Amino acid sequence: MNDRISETGIDKGSVHPGKIVALLILIACIALFPFVIKNRFYISLVNEMLIYGLLAMSLDVLLGYTGLLSFMHNAYLGLGAYVVGLFLIHVSPSSLWLAILAGIVVTSLIALPVGWVQVRTGGLAFALLTLAFGMMFYTIVWKWYDLTGGDDGLMGVPHPDIHVGGIVLGHSGNPTSMYLLTLCIVLICFLVTWRIMHSPFGAVLEAIRENEERASFVGINVRRYKLYGWMYACMLASISGGLFILYRGYIGPTTMSAFAGAGVLMMVLVGGMGSLWGPIIGAGIFIFIQDYISTMTEHWELFVGMVVILLVLFMPRGFVGLGDYVTRFRKE
Amino acid sequence: MTTILRTKNLHKHFGGVLAVNDVNAEFKANRLRSIIGPNGAGKTTFINVITGKLPASSGAVLFQDRDITNSPAHRLVRLGICRTFQITSIFMGLTVFENIRIAAQSEMGGSFRILSAKHSLKSVNKKTWEILDRLGLKDKAKVPSNNLAHGDQRLLEVAMALAGDPKILFLDEPTAGMSPAETEHIAQLIKGLTETVAVVLVEHDMDVVMSISDEITVLNQGSIIAEGPPKAIQDNAQVKEAYLGNA
Repeated sequence: MNDRISETGIDKGSVHPGKIVALLILIACIALFPFVIKNRFYISLVNEMLIYGLLAMSLDVLLGYTGLLSFMHNAYLGLGAYVVGLFLIHVSPSSLWLAILAGIVVTSLIALPVGWVQVRTGGLAFALLTLAFGMMFYTIVWKWYDLTGGDDGLMGVPHPDIHVGGIVLGHSGNPTSMYLLTLCIVLICFLVTWRIMHSPFGAVLEAIRENEERASFVGINVRRYKLYGWMYACMLASISGGLFILYRGYIGPTTMSAFAGAGVLMMVLVGGMGSLWGPIIGAGIFIFIQDYISTMTEHWELFVGMVVILLVLFMPRGFVGLGDYVTRFRKE
Repeated sequence: MTTILRTKNLHKHFGGVLAVNDVNAEFKANRLRSIIGPNGAGKTTFINVITGKLPASSGAVLFQDRDITNSPAHRLVRLGICRTFQITSIFMGLTVFENIRIAAQSEMGGSFRILSAKHSLKSVNKKTWEILDRLGLKDKAKVPSNNLAHGDQRLLEVAMALAGDPKILFLDEPTAGMSPAETEHIAQLIKGLTETVAVVLVEHDMDVVMSISDEITVLNQGSIIAEGPPKAIQDNAQVKEAYLGNA
């Protein structure tokens, strides 16, 4: 073989145009949804799917790309939500963007020392530490009645206007406006995260996922990069928390429970980890099942559990695996 | 000839067991030094302590006269101390190309480019292709590394170590599990590496050791019992005794 040494990789990284078209159509459908289905209940339901989709996607950054298992990633949705809520109540009831920014900054400041401790471990120890810290946050939020409202939750959070560059676009108390705001932010987070995970930085995280020891023996500071991954995931989770409190106007400690944390993990597994979009679909499926079955029986957890068992047994790679199956079928 | 790395009174014990006992060794540029010894002699432990996989109990490791004892592995790799493992350690879920590229990227920089594509680092890609070419893995660039034959996986690990631009390269039994033909190929390749780096080879295949080594260090129960060129080691009575026992 005499060909010149190439400067290009083997992966062109270009996305198939069909996929882009499919994504645009999907986004258009989601964006038009509240104008077609005017039922407030369904608008709220899809809004919640998008918020939990963002949270599940942020967990995928940890689980699917860095190989770190967090049992209670919902803790960081909760922290973000409480901070945004408290900011709107006590600091400024009308500053939407400042409140979201405060949520990101304060959650990151809490996540930093936690992450610093956690990245000193790996595997099961890391997972157990996420559980320990998560339960600690849950207890603090539950018991600190004066600040958080304890088990009554944080109530009476004001709904600020949604404004961009001084122009008021809508009101966060309006389901349709809030829905569109959520969609925009989730979409931006998805695109930015997709870009980052497919960058040289993302390649480092993948190397850590595949083989931590080898990663350090090719010169990667494994702890530091695990901390970067952790901080990014917590930051995204805090954004989902900000959207959560803006949409609901209320948050209680159960949102931060270990039980809810297991739910987020199921969303990622049902959707298929390591794809970013899979967990968003997973969140949609999970919330749909939860909502649909809870109208029939209060023991909905039982059925969600059964559905998850079936999915894990017959679709071990989640919803994403189904996509691969279709691609292979078309090639044959 | 310049000394790249040496150890001074290096000790490593696990509880009461002395695995490395007061070892003073010297590794020179462009030389191939093999470390041999019976099972349990402390060969792998010795290189684990040098390369930062295990902390030393006492003593020092000096790299170009700089004390690097107990530095973390990733920092040693950046200095140019690279290695392979006895049990193949590669990124199984990634392709051959990606395996080498991540090693090259980590050496050459660019890991903070969060908004460009993985394949956009041109010099990193170029280096990756060069190494693939050098080790004859070019045709397998796109193959997921878990689908590679065992021999090629061993070769890939050497390729990844090379991508770190080593000044000294530790190879822990690179021919383990290879066919005679593959062994012959990798032995010649290892010999060729001394053109650019110091090579330290831990190896059980005595034909390989005797044919390609410049010097041999013999360890027994954690201590050096003999050092010298292959011919001298073959005739050394102490070495024979260590391998064959007191008959």
